[in-house]
Amino acid sequence: MKAPPASADAPTSAAPRVYKPEMGRGWWLGKRHYFLYIVREFTALPLALWLLWFLVEIQRASNGPKGYYPHSSIGFVVFSVIVLGFALYHTYTFLSLAGVIIHIKGVPARLIVLSQFALWLVASVVIAAVLIGFAR
Amino acid sequence: MTEKRITIRATRFDPEKDRSPRLQSYDIPFSDESMVVLDALNHIKAHVDGSLSYRWSCRMGICGSCGMMVNGTPKLTCNAFLRDYWPRSITVEPLTNFPIVRDLVIDMESFMHKLKSIKPWIIRKQDYPLGAGEHRQTMEQIDEFRQFSECINCMLCYAACPVYGLNNEFLGPAAIALARRYNLDSRDQGIKERLPVIADSEGIWECSFVGECSVVCPKGVDPAKAIQQTKLDTTMRFVLPYGNRDE
Repeated sequence: MKAPPASADAPTSAAPRVYKPEMGRGWWLGKRHYFLYIVREFTALPLALWLLWFLVEIQRASNGPKGYYPHSSIGFVVFSVIVLGFALYHTYTFLSLAGVIIHIKGVPARLIVLSQFALWLVASVVIAAVLIGFAR
Repeated sequence: MTEKRITIRATRFDPEKDRSPRLQSYDIPFSDESMVVLDALNHIKAHVDGSLSYRWSCRMGICGSCGMMVNGTPKLTCNAFLRDYWPRSITVEPLTNFPIVRDLVIDMESFMHKLKSIKPWIIRKQDYPLGAGEHRQTMEQIDEFRQFSECINCMLCYAACPVYGLNNEFLGPAAIALARRYNLDSRDQGIKERLPVIADSEGIWECSFVGECSVVCPKGVDPAKAIQQTKLDTTMRFVLPYGNRDE
């Protein structure tokens, strides 16, 4: 938001010289809370990369199961496991904050958080069941 | 028995002489376990160096004037006890993310403008005449906004907010929490006047939920909660049918 234009009420004398500090690039390393915040934000990047890869795999599988061989190099498996860790951390932090964001009269924040984790669990089980079902 | 002492390192900046702030050490007696950092600064000013500049007023965590960085954390210096730091030295600096006017004094002009922009007062479409009586509220209606009305405008949340540090145009935690306080007040009808400011790109949507503002608040206000809930409310008003209806 911009400061209002100078008005007739504004002081006419020259403003005193002030020192304007600037944040250093390493500001997020100074405090654990800031570091965890940056990690939380960063996790979205590898997740996005993995999802892009996933889209490529879907495109490769578009001709049916006969000509499709899933990408199974060690590098990709390791990358996927790391991204899974990031995804779990991102999900945990996101759902933990649900109690702060969602405000329902008479419902404790803790219950809202628990319900989000329960929904996550149910959704994971359903998706796993569908995938395993298709694989058979 | 030797006298207990503590070292206070305070920021000094004279805009007439210095190009940038520097730290100056003061070794002072730590004579009383109930001494706070503000007492230490007052001792320095009274007995060691009268030129040290800083803001303070009530000494009891109400006025919000004496907020400074104490060993890198935004704190009210009237509520930062020396016993929690001794025998280590204590570094006292002006609140970060604000221009420094002199020593420990910051320029609050930008914050005051932001505060005013959210119209922190009861807005009525049509004022009742005084003779019509008071606007009554139930305890439940008061509980809706009570927490957000505890803010003392100490600006510790702005000093803790890296988003504000990187973009000084951000409306910031305290101003948004106060806007929510009035928007939740059953007597208020001014949400549409505040929305253009709080739902602006430099308003709630600039916040990426670091959460440190709520951690450092000395009054237990949760500005991060106010911002996230305002995001949800604003989205609902936009998405739901009749969500933006006149209230």
